[in-house]
Amino acid sequence: MNCRECKEHLYEYLDRELTPSVMEEIRQHVTECPPCSESFDFEKVFLTFVRARCRAQGASPELRRRILDELLDE
Amino acid sequence: MTPPIPPGSPPPATPPSPPPPASSPADADKRASFEREALIHLDSLYRVALRLTGNPAEADDLVQETMLKAYRAWHQFERGTNAKGWLLTILRHAFINEYRRRTRHPETVDIDAIEPFSVFEEIQDDDPQGTFFDRIVDDEVLRAIDALPEQFRETVVLSDVEGMSYEEIARVLEVPVGTVKSRLFRARRLLQQQLYEYAVGMGYIKGNAT
Repeated sequence: MNCRECKEHLYEYLDRELTPSVMEEIRQHVTECPPCSESFDFEKVFLTFVRARCRAQGASPELRRRILDELLDE
Repeated sequence: MTPPIPPGSPPPATPPSPPPPASSPADADKRASFEREALIHLDSLYRVALRLTGNPAEADDLVQETMLKAYRAWHQFERGTNAKGWLLTILRHAFINEYRRRTRHPETVDIDAIEPFSVFEEIQDDDPQGTFFDRIVDDEVLRAIDALPEQFRETVVLSDVEGMSYEEIARVLEVPVGTVKSRLFRARRLLQQQLYEYAVGMGYIKGNAT
């Protein structure tokens, strides 16, 4: 696998959405290719960052109560 | 004809007025299974609703409506399958049909024409490890997600906020998996680009672009 092909599958690789054999081919290329390794690491940092920044918010206790009350009325 | 009840006799065998109507064993079972399998996804539904509507009050209403619709259709849900995906599909339909008209207007941008550049290529000499991301606060990330075109926004939220697989996202959005892949690719690059431009504007990182 060459650099261009690896980059095409970049997010699928980081999302683990490829078959084990393709995952392995990319992993091998990336470990042997410093530029690809750097750019893959950068994208990984970015995804981890987005996920960490967005998880906190959840439904309020009021909303939960409103829904439970409504189900009782059904 | 009911024979008249002589005064002083005990009340009829069946309890006179069963408390709330929903107290039959079947209703109680339904409610228990709904709470167990559907209500546990409340936080996820709220997060997605908030990003779709862009407004906490609207998000509350959308989630409440979704849960009510889901409860009424609970007999249609195939037990043991993905309840989160099922609920999100209901939520998305409710949003498209009732909320989008009031909150945000349907998309007019051509998302296929959006070709964001690679931020990594801009910064590989200055900050290849992307340390500038650490300085960007939660609110700014959420604002950047909210600024994405709707089709990009919903894909990013289902993937990066809710951690769903491409297959699950494709089912909720009712598009092929290939569409999920290409939207996710461009959506993430666009988000990255917006955050990069913000970081440059704030002086967190030196800009090379211009």
